[in-house]
Amino acid sequence: MPALECRGLKKELPSGAHTLAILAGIDLAIEAGEFVAILGPSGSGKTTLLGLLAGLDRPSAGEVWLEGRRIDALSEDALARLRRGRVGFVFQSFQLLGNLTALENVLLPLELVGVAGARARSVELLGEVGLGDRLDHYPAQLSGGEQQRVALARAFASEPSVLFADEPTGNLDAETGARVLLLLDALRARRQVTLVLVTHDPEVAARADRRVHLRAGKIERIEFGRETARA
Amino acid sequence: MRFALLFRAAQRESRGARGRLAFFTACLALGSFAVVGVSGLARSVRAAIAAQSKELLGGDVWIRAREPLADELVAALDAEPDSERCEVRLVQTMARATASGQSRLVELKAVGAGFPYHGALVLEPPGTLDARLDDGAVAVASELAAGLGLCVGDELALGVARFRVAALVLDEPGRLDPTFTSGPRVFSTLAGFHSMQLEGVGSRITYGALLALPPSAGPAAEWADTLSERVPMGEARIDSHEEAQPQVQRAARQVERYLGLVALLSLILGGVGVAEIVRAWIGTRVASIGVLRVLGFTPREVLWMYAGHVLALATVGSALGSLLGSFLPLCVPRFLPELLPRGLTLGWQPLSILRGIGLGTLVAVAFSLPALAAVWRVPPVRVLRHEAEPLPAKRALTLAALGALIGSVFVAAWVQSEELGLAAGFTGLVAALLGVLALGARGLTRLARWLPRERLPASLAHGIAALARPGAGVLGAVVALGLGTLVVVTLLLVETRLSARLTSALPPGGASLFFLDLQPDQRAEFERVLAAEGAQDVRIVPLASGRLTRINGLSAEAQALVHGEGRGRWALTREQRLTWQQELGPDNHLVAGELWSDPQHLELSLEQDYAEDIGALLGSPLTLEFSGLPIEFVVTSLRQVEWESFGINFFIVAEPGALDAAPHSLLAAANVAPEREQRVQDALVAACPNVTVIRVRSILEKVSYVLSRSALAVELLGAFTVAVGLVLLAGVASLGALRRVREVALWKVLGVTRGGVARLFALEFALLGGVAGLLGALGASALAWAFFEHVLEFDSDVPWWTAPLAGLVAATLAALCGLAACAHALHTRPIESLRS
Ligand SMILES: Nc1ncnc2c1ncn2[C@@H]1O[C@H](COP(=O)(O)OP(=O)(O)OP(=O)(O)O)[C@@H](O)[C@H]1O
Ligand SMILES: [Mg+2]
Repeated sequence: MPALECRGLKKELPSGAHTLAILAGIDLAIEAGEFVAILGPSGSGKTTLLGLLAGLDRPSAGEVWLEGRRIDALSEDALARLRRGRVGFVFQSFQLLGNLTALENVLLPLELVGVAGARARSVELLGEVGLGDRLDHYPAQLSGGEQQRVALARAFASEPSVLFADEPTGNLDAETGARVLLLLDALRARRQVTLVLVTHDPEVAARADRRVHLRAGKIERIEFGRETARA
Repeated sequence: MRFALLFRAAQRESRGARGRLAFFTACLALGSFAVVGVSGLARSVRAAIAAQSKELLGGDVWIRAREPLADELVAALDAEPDSERCEVRLVQTMARATASGQSRLVELKAVGAGFPYHGALVLEPPGTLDARLDDGAVAVASELAAGLGLCVGDELALGVARFRVAALVLDEPGRLDPTFTSGPRVFSTLAGFHSMQLEGVGSRITYGALLALPPSAGPAAEWADTLSERVPMGEARIDSHEEAQPQVQRAARQVERYLGLVALLSLILGGVGVAEIVRAWIGTRVASIGVLRVLGFTPREVLWMYAGHVLALATVGSALGSLLGSFLPLCVPRFLPELLPRGLTLGWQPLSILRGIGLGTLVAVAFSLPALAAVWRVPPVRVLRHEAEPLPAKRALTLAALGALIGSVFVAAWVQSEELGLAAGFTGLVAALLGVLALGARGLTRLARWLPRERLPASLAHGIAALARPGAGVLGAVVALGLGTLVVVTLLLVETRLSARLTSALPPGGASLFFLDLQPDQRAEFERVLAAEGAQDVRIVPLASGRLTRINGLSAEAQALVHGEGRGRWALTREQRLTWQQELGPDNHLVAGELWSDPQHLELSLEQDYAEDIGALLGSPLTLEFSGLPIEFVVTSLRQVEWESFGINFFIVAEPGALDAAPHSLLAAANVAPEREQRVQDALVAACPNVTVIRVRSILEKVSYVLSRSALAVELLGAFTVAVGLVLLAGVASLGALRRVREVALWKVLGVTRGGVARLFALEFALLGGVAGLLGALGASALAWAFFEHVLEFDSDVPWWTAPLAGLVAATLAALCGLAACAHALHTRPIESLRS
């Protein structure tokens, strides 16, 4: 059973008299622990696909299955409950909560699930991403790279089985971006987390087990195997 | 665990909420201050009366009647073990300083030994009444002494007797302010009272007995109940000290009810303000809410979290206002001592704080629900794409929010008024007013958007553009300020028109002086004095009182069973005053039958509504009893009476001469120029000392004074609504502070001076305030007009300049408030703001 699967996934939007197809039928199955990169030119529908796979948005047609459960028709409440503890996110624009400290940002998903020892685990995770001495700083007091590292710690805190990332290095300079990506890959590999990552940077995608190329809302081609040589 | 998490999340959300807290507090504190102040005042008056009721009454039980107490009752009282009794007589009469000849209407209280049993009169020279008074002496209120120029030892004439002023009364527990009484107090002994010879026919004397009960008697109210069940009371009424000060208690209840609703109005406006603040706040929070949703918060949890935050802020705000308001009862007696009975000390009412916090949080949460419901619509996918479409609105949630809004206003009004109908009416009126104002405000926004601005001067164009800006809290500010203006202007209009009407308008041809208790043998003397003093339109009618015993062949009691509803019962069982005369005044119009047309019978003419109340028709036989002597009449005509003419009029008029033999007094009226009234009164009191003179002008002045005083209280409370409106305006202005900082920076970069920028802002807020004031005042004019036209039924003349003036005042206030709220933005350096 694949960790994540979509069949005939379509997203259409009304545009004047006719409809605009943003995704025109995507079929994709992702195995547990796999690292899949989604590539494609701007406007090809990468973000839209990610949102649909993660259950943040509703498809116009088609099905999405997450760990054997069909999620495309679930209610908002059911989706929210599904996300806690099972699904993690990393975004291009970090999306930390500005009025929470780094530690509280990481704690929040744990508190939501209600696990014991949440604080200790958060502190440990922040240490793992190299921010052990910045626990009580607010996002505004951290650099972009540091913020994204807090976001990584938050994404892994609740031990999700699937992680979604939309251009996690898009807002960072090349060097910082590379460091964040290394960290992400290491954390993921250690925990056997399935990762779906959107990027238009071939160097980032090179680390993935599989590269899905989108063009105009369709899968153009799929490449397999890590391109370790280029990394 | 869920709750703990939500609580923690809400708590974290409070970080950096200082500005929000300030406006929340200001909006709710004003309203809850008013609510708690009013209810605390009313409660503390009632609590104080309850606690000090014995002192206010002077005893435990008070029995009184318009005739001497029945023998059985007196015997029963005599038989009571260990209780003490003090006879009392109360009457309004004239007092005349013999040295100066000046006279005054006074409230005479003749008391037996031992008065009062509880509490104490403060006399000058000090002492008790028993010690100071003898049968040739009186104690007079200090204001009477001042008015007549009396000192201790001087002589005062009351009735046919003369008395030495033995003491001044500096303080009498339970005594109301002179405004609320017909005249200053004079104390005498019972024997002194008899020597005045005021007990003529028709005199309105109250015969009373004040009782002090032994501790073994138990609660006075129960004692009084058992007594009135055991002993036939006749005409007498019995009150225990628990029922002391009925007028004040009733007034306190009315104050609580009606002023409570006016106070609630400012709380509701605070709710409108809270709604605006929450809307703006949620607007800045959409990004965070998206993240929370992605992390797995359900919409409901997010809603609870923000509602929790609102609840916390609302509690702080209303607690602060309520705490301050709870001290109001302690301040009022200092500033408005005439509103309370003498000797009443008000206490702090901490319990009323709960009412303020309860209503404050209820209104705040209910009003912010529609704004909070927006939380539901934030889509989680927003974290991926900013402009993601909001989730569809939940119909049920929108309806529930609306229901909660209306329901909370109704519940709050019910709590305040304790009357379902009043609460429903209030809710409807508020909803209608808010609706009309919101429509007006929306219309103006449309107009401002549509108006071509290119040709206008830059500052005006900017102001209009600000009005046209969608959202931006314009609607809330206009509605709140408009409603505040509406309340205050309506009150001002009604009060000024009404008092002008009361003081200026003695109806033409109406009498300015009335004379009571004139005895038939004094008639010649009376006419002589009045003629000598130049009084005009003198009218004298005989006055007798009788009791209806039979109607249409039925006894009055039987008739009362048939016609026993409301006024009918009252009309049938009460002593009836009537007159007899040949011709009726011009304010009487016959509507049926002929006057004095039946030579066979003694005839009566009845006022038509009264006839209906007692169930009498044209031709009905009627028996009236005068001092035990029955006389039979037939109704031969029905009349309509213009009561508002201030003439002497009666429900029952008998044919001339019918009752000349019955014991009767005379009632007279005359028209005297205001400056001669005192002279006429003095001369008459000297000649006929038992006659009571009632001056219509001074009564109207008192009524108008009381009216203006109560209106002042309502207006002060109304001013709170305007204050809330202004706070809201300032809140809206400062919520847009960030935008303003950028604007100011831009203008400064473009070379506009600071003064220039201030002018721009001032004009913007003035326009907003002006529009709100104008709308409010137009509404007020309409309301006041409707009130005059349909409730009071007299021609109204709401001045045309009301609305422009109110608009101007509101504009000025709004400009000042807006500038104050933008002061920070005005002071920022352009470079700083461009960097951020
Ligand atoms: N709600 C929407 N309304 C209108 N157009 C939309 C909406 N959502 C997506 N689109 C359009 O669909 C197309 C795909 O959008 P998407 O964000 O998925 O592209 P992308 O591959 O992530 O591009 P980028 O690399 O620039 O992020 C774009 O042309 C976008 O404008
Ligand atoms: Mg994208």
